[in-house]
Amino acid sequence: MSITSFSFLCFFAVVLFGYYCIPKKAQWGYLLAVGGIYFMTSTEVADSGGWYVIGYPMAAVLAVYAAARLMDRTTEQRKRRAALVCAVIFCIGLLCTLKFFRLPLLAPMGISFYTLTLLGYLFDVYYEIGGVQKNYGKLLLFACYFPTMISGPVVRYQEMEPQLFGGHKLDFRQVTFGMQRMLWGFFKKLVIAERMAVIANEIFDNYENYAGFPIWIGAIAFTFQLYADFAGCMDIVLGISECFGIVLPENFNAPFLAKNISEYWRRWHITLGVWLREYLFYPLLRTGFFMRLPKKLRDRLGKKRAKQLTTFLAMFILWFTIGYWHGGTWNYIIGSGLLHWFYIVSGELMEPLFCKWRAFFHIRTESRGFVLFQRLRTFFLVVLGLMFFRNARVPDALAMIGRGFSAFNPQIFVDGTLFSFGLDWIECTILVVSMLLFAWVNVQQQKGWLRERLAGKHIVLRWIVLYALLFYVILLGQYGPGYSASEFIYQNFKV
Amino acid sequence: MGREEVFETLNGVFRDVFDDETITVNDKTTADDIEDWDSLEHINLMAAVESEFGIKFSMGQIMTMKNVGEMVDIILQKI
Repeated sequence: MSITSFSFLCFFAVVLFGYYCIPKKAQWGYLLAVGGIYFMTSTEVADSGGWYVIGYPMAAVLAVYAAARLMDRTTEQRKRRAALVCAVIFCIGLLCTLKFFRLPLLAPMGISFYTLTLLGYLFDVYYEIGGVQKNYGKLLLFACYFPTMISGPVVRYQEMEPQLFGGHKLDFRQVTFGMQRMLWGFFKKLVIAERMAVIANEIFDNYENYAGFPIWIGAIAFTFQLYADFAGCMDIVLGISECFGIVLPENFNAPFLAKNISEYWRRWHITLGVWLREYLFYPLLRTGFFMRLPKKLRDRLGKKRAKQLTTFLAMFILWFTIGYWHGGTWNYIIGSGLLHWFYIVSGELMEPLFCKWRAFFHIRTESRGFVLFQRLRTFFLVVLGLMFFRNARVPDALAMIGRGFSAFNPQIFVDGTLFSFGLDWIECTILVVSMLLFAWVNVQQQKGWLRERLAGKHIVLRWIVLYALLFYVILLGQYGPGYSASEFIYQNFKV
Repeated sequence: MGREEVFETLNGVFRDVFDDETITVNDKTTADDIEDWDSLEHINLMAAVESEFGIKFSMGQIMTMKNVGEMVDIILQKI
């Protein structure tokens, strides 16, 4: 069952009621059992009858559990390392076999998320940062806590342990906040993403029929669709979890306010970025090869360049991995991997030149106009990347970008063409108004949680706002009786 | 080597890594206080500190170090 389906909402209501009726000590076991039911009724499993897939996460958890226990018991570095390597190979091997090698095997829901989560735990034990979980069932719950199984966020053991196993008393305020957050997620998903999808699908699927501005409208629509879809899913997931009294880490922080690509990645899919930095990028830079490389290059290139080149090389591996993770094909490797590597590297190499230009044109970097320029530029670069991401084949993406530059047709904005992409003028108006609301909230959130401020307002105003949003979603959400919003985009990428 | 001396040596390392002669670190200095101290430079900084003192940090120490004070504590344990 999809988390935007009516059946899921009913399931959630029953589960939540039960959660606060049972003793606190039993809550973690209850969540584990609920996770099992949710897993078994997930679309992948229910449609194919492949119930055996529940064995995959259980096996991965068992491997990590055993390796961590072994590491905990011995101080012999050789043994600890061997345990780490075996468990990592097992988990990554399982992930690659099920997910990327295109074998006719059924991959379980959330496999990339729970694999990352589990490996993070294992590395923490290996580095002696975090404690060891001696109860297999508890480790299983940590890896397969059902809200995070859908599309993340990737969580850390130290942050989750006290929350998952500590027991929670009903906190009315927290449950209300959680439900508000879910509602906001439904707004993003059902009102915005589903509408943006209509435009994006039309233009991406028939790009040969379009040139100039319509191409860019399609690309921007897909960018907003992906963001509203993924961030909406995160709001629902974090909201669900908050109702259980378990606070998950944020995955988004207004990514389109970023002034450069590096900042964009600190605001988009945050938990994945942190994971890759700490468990892939840092260890990579600490390997013998990367430690020696700057010293070798220093004589030929000078200290600064040698350091820079080493970093760029390590970043190449990092970005390749990010791209590969999204689907294992070139459109992802380029669109959400190597192209971003190229942006960051070229940005850094050209910085001295940009600096001269800014001085020449007397541009103040903190001026509003310049910040706006930086934001629009970053947004455009992201849109370009997503054109690869959305097209299944790289030549299609290149052809589509080419068509985007092949005509200059601003008349489409006034001659009614805008309403020929699948949404009529009423739908377009709803979309624009919703986007404005979404953008306003994003900007406001930079100053702190809006819901906290809303909670401080008069009860009448509070309920008016909430009911208005609720009816907005119910009336304008793209769904109908028996209809389940299309699955979340990121659910398929599993990252 | 005493704590004072470690700070003196660290000042040199920081100035060299971040190309800024005005840097002076203390117990409470964090990555927020030095403009270029991002996740990339953090690893470069660790490597420079290691070679200066002839020690090796563990990955766990690198990831959890909260400020320069903690860095000095670790250095003092190792030399």
